[in-house]
Amino acid sequence: MYQTIGEEIQVAGLFKKGRFWPSKFKWYGQTFNIQKITLTAEANNGGVKLRYYSVLASGNLYRLQYNRQFETWRLMEIWCEG
Amino acid sequence: MKGEVGLTGLNHCLSDYKDCWAHVDINSYFATLIQQENPALRGQPVGIVKESGRTCIIAASKEAKLLGVSTGSRKDEALLLAPNIRLIPAQFDFYLDATRRLKRLFESLSPEVQIFSLDEAFINLTSCKYLYRDTHTFGTLVQTKIKQELGEWVTANVGISWNRFLAKIAGETGPKGSITSINQENLDYKLATTKFTDVSGVGYRLEKRLKAIGIENLYQIKLFSNQELEKHLGPFWSKQLRKMSFGEEPNLFEHIDSNPHMKSVGRSITGYKLCNNETEIKQILYNLVLETASKARSMGLAGRQISVYLSGEGRYWFSHVTLPSYVNQNKEVFELVYHYLYKKWQRSFLVIKFGVRLSLLKPETQINQPLWPTWHKQRYLEKAVDELAQKYGLFTVRPASLLNGQLIRPEVTGFLGDKSFQLGS
Repeated sequence: MYQTIGEEIQVAGLFKKGRFWPSKFKWYGQTFNIQKITLTAEANNGGVKLRYYSVLASGNLYRLQYNRQFETWRLMEIWCEG
Repeated sequence: MKGEVGLTGLNHCLSDYKDCWAHVDINSYFATLIQQENPALRGQPVGIVKESGRTCIIAASKEAKLLGVSTGSRKDEALLLAPNIRLIPAQFDFYLDATRRLKRLFESLSPEVQIFSLDEAFINLTSCKYLYRDTHTFGTLVQTKIKQELGEWVTANVGISWNRFLAKIAGETGPKGSITSINQENLDYKLATTKFTDVSGVGYRLEKRLKAIGIENLYQIKLFSNQELEKHLGPFWSKQLRKMSFGEEPNLFEHIDSNPHMKSVGRSITGYKLCNNETEIKQILYNLVLETASKARSMGLAGRQISVYLSGEGRYWFSHVTLPSYVNQNKEVFELVYHYLYKKWQRSFLVIKFGVRLSLLKPETQINQPLWPTWHKQRYLEKAVDELAQKYGLFTVRPASLLNGQLIRPEVTGFLGDKSFQLGS
């Protein structure tokens, strides 16, 4: 099941082919190295553009959200087995 | 050029078709994308529910379908069939974005693409059929590009024929991830072996009526005279089914992209529990009106028919009003929905499903605006609220009556009834 988090995080990554690809993120002082981006999606909240990255880090799935208007990153959800 | 392609049928040269259409259907779309996103769910039976805590399965994964779980199953029914099924909340933003990306992908293959639903599209290959050698080459190219765009777990059926009706039958009847084509050689075989559930336009009730007169497949319709068909099915369906029995497109397909603008917009929601609270009902109707009217305004449309639908406890109530003038402002639509329509109802059951619709839409440019200063004042106010939503997000500014209680946010439906709004086409 997915556990809702919704907390601000810091993200580092690379620009490749005109797009940003996160490679690691920091949450509560802990750094998570991203092994794979399994899905990306763009969405709108009204006119506010959001970009979602579903990433695998330490074998677990994390849903990250980038708010393109305010340039903020959030960890939205974590997959918890069970 | 001919050659066998797996179990799905013949490989046909595209240039042999005078007109050529491809139908692409992503397999178990909602569930497949969730499995693509989360490798822990791949290969497992997955049921997609609208939100956490819901019990109706709106989509099932390939694995769940093999165990008998179908769309519309309840949680307890699904658990009997697949005890280890995982119920995952839908991610409508992901699905809509994937459809937009697929649309762009298909448009890179052909100049004419028609999105049929969230997970289905028609590609007209008539003008570019010489670019692709045969049905298998084109089908494989589409399937490969879909995997590149959305991920390795995403599979699609590709059906190809000389019209959309047959391309869809070809796509629907092949195994998951297949490429199937229909031409004159296998047309009769396909018509005789396709179940009515795989025929676009034939619903459950029509299928029942057809079976009652001994018709089990499209091919058998040829054996009935026009008079016999008309007697049992009426003038409309007898003509449509006659066309289908010869592999011709029924009228349904002519309307896919023919509307210059949407004819109606609406929004419905099913609550978690039966509602008996007047304030809550008012809030929900207001929330639905905000989305409906805002959709109409964003497309530059206004409507003059307003309807409201409520159901619960196995009963329903519906009412509508047709106005002489057009409306699309929140306040005026809500006045009509709540005060004019809903308030006249003597509530006789608890409500769980709510729906609001604005119909007979027309472009605002073709409508004379009222001269009343109050109307213009309200319009400026709502325009300002729309602009704030554009800049800071939906519901940043909202009516005080919606400050308490859960907000109902916009979402997309599988059949994509509002595709011209969602995809801007």
